[in-house]
Amino acid sequence: MGMIKRRTMLKILGGMVSGVSVLAAAGWIAFVPSAKEPSYEFVKAWGGKGVRPGQFSDPTGIAIADGEVFVADSRNGRIQVFDLDGNFKRQFGRPGKEPGELGRPMNLTVRDGELYVPEYFNDRIQVFGLDGTLRRIIGGPGNGPGQFSAPGGLAVGKNGELYVADFYGQRVQELKPDGVFVRQWGTTGQTSHAVGSFHYPTDVTLDRTGSIYMADGYGNRIQVFDPDGTFLHKWGGPLARGIYGPFNGWFTTVTSIAFGSEGNLFAADFYNNRVQKFAPDGTFLTDFGGKGTGPGKFDHAIAVAVAADGSVFVADFLNNRIQKWRPN
Amino acid sequence: MKTLGRIILAVFTTTWIATAAFAAGPSYRIEVAGLACPFCAYGIEKELNAIGGVERVETNIGDGTVIVTMKDGAALDEATAKQAVKDAGFTLNGFTQAAQ
Repeated sequence: MGMIKRRTMLKILGGMVSGVSVLAAAGWIAFVPSAKEPSYEFVKAWGGKGVRPGQFSDPTGIAIADGEVFVADSRNGRIQVFDLDGNFKRQFGRPGKEPGELGRPMNLTVRDGELYVPEYFNDRIQVFGLDGTLRRIIGGPGNGPGQFSAPGGLAVGKNGELYVADFYGQRVQELKPDGVFVRQWGTTGQTSHAVGSFHYPTDVTLDRTGSIYMADGYGNRIQVFDPDGTFLHKWGGPLARGIYGPFNGWFTTVTSIAFGSEGNLFAADFYNNRVQKFAPDGTFLTDFGGKGTGPGKFDHAIAVAVAADGSVFVADFLNNRIQKWRPN
Repeated sequence: MKTLGRIILAVFTTTWIATAAFAAGPSYRIEVAGLACPFCAYGIEKELNAIGGVERVETNIGDGTVIVTMKDGAALDEATAKQAVKDAGFTLNGFTQAAQ
């Protein structure tokens, strides 16, 4: 009798283990895609912690224009400009609240010869010429239309319209070029994993058709809307419902997104210490990086930008350096 | 004459540094979980800087701690710090006054 009971128990246990294994395998196949492209090759890194030209204290944003790399050197309150090989060219800004001063600049955007700098502390966007001349200031602190509560990143449309990730506002706002409010996605101040809502949005970018890609930072996903504002699709972990993880196509806090010239999207996956590359429909293509301080390793990859030749530049946050990568 | 000038400068500098150091109020060490991301660390800094009487806020993103130094005569209570951390989207894990 005892032997039969034991056999039955073993059978049940075996069945349960098999069931769990099948479920895990099915989940893996469904939610962890394999790479479709080779990874990227590390080229070089530059920087180091400090205040001198070419050094950084919290690099948090990066953009590329006209063969130059613009870096938001956040805690130093300045923008540093380098050539594509990392040679220092110039800098502008200093910590503060006055026009031209910077209070924790975040993800940078260049459009039509102008640099857009969202400031986390000053709740505004300053627009500079690429030489560092201040052109105008958009927004101010608050949760009203056209106001910001820690703007983290933005995109600029072909007519100069702005799409701003309002981090503590839990929304993405569309503004006219002069800052007048047009509409928003998300409910002000309310976090949610529902479609069109956010859990601390960090960045926005546009594709060639004007579709709007929004990095939902702690929502661990990317949401896409057509130019009219209609939801198209989303991705990031199982069902893009905020579940984080280290697997292909998952995020653990997505802090920056940028399109490459071939039309694929790169995403800085902060706590996973890597950059992921996706097709515009969210198909996972490849990734690169890994935790560390050596060449090709990140201590939290926070921002990404892509040059016209396909080189990818990454702000390596806690290593206080910029890394350059190229396709294999 | 040169030596006398140097001595005066040294005395002046020492006095100035000492005055500045003693003019600062108490410091507090605040512990917060998940402070590695600047989007959160800066949020906490911003909230704490908005509290009246705060002289300086230093975040250590690596170990998840924040040191708040108050102006001379000002103090920070735990409830206020807790609310500031909560407004930044986090939970206060520890609050201690640093030795003066």
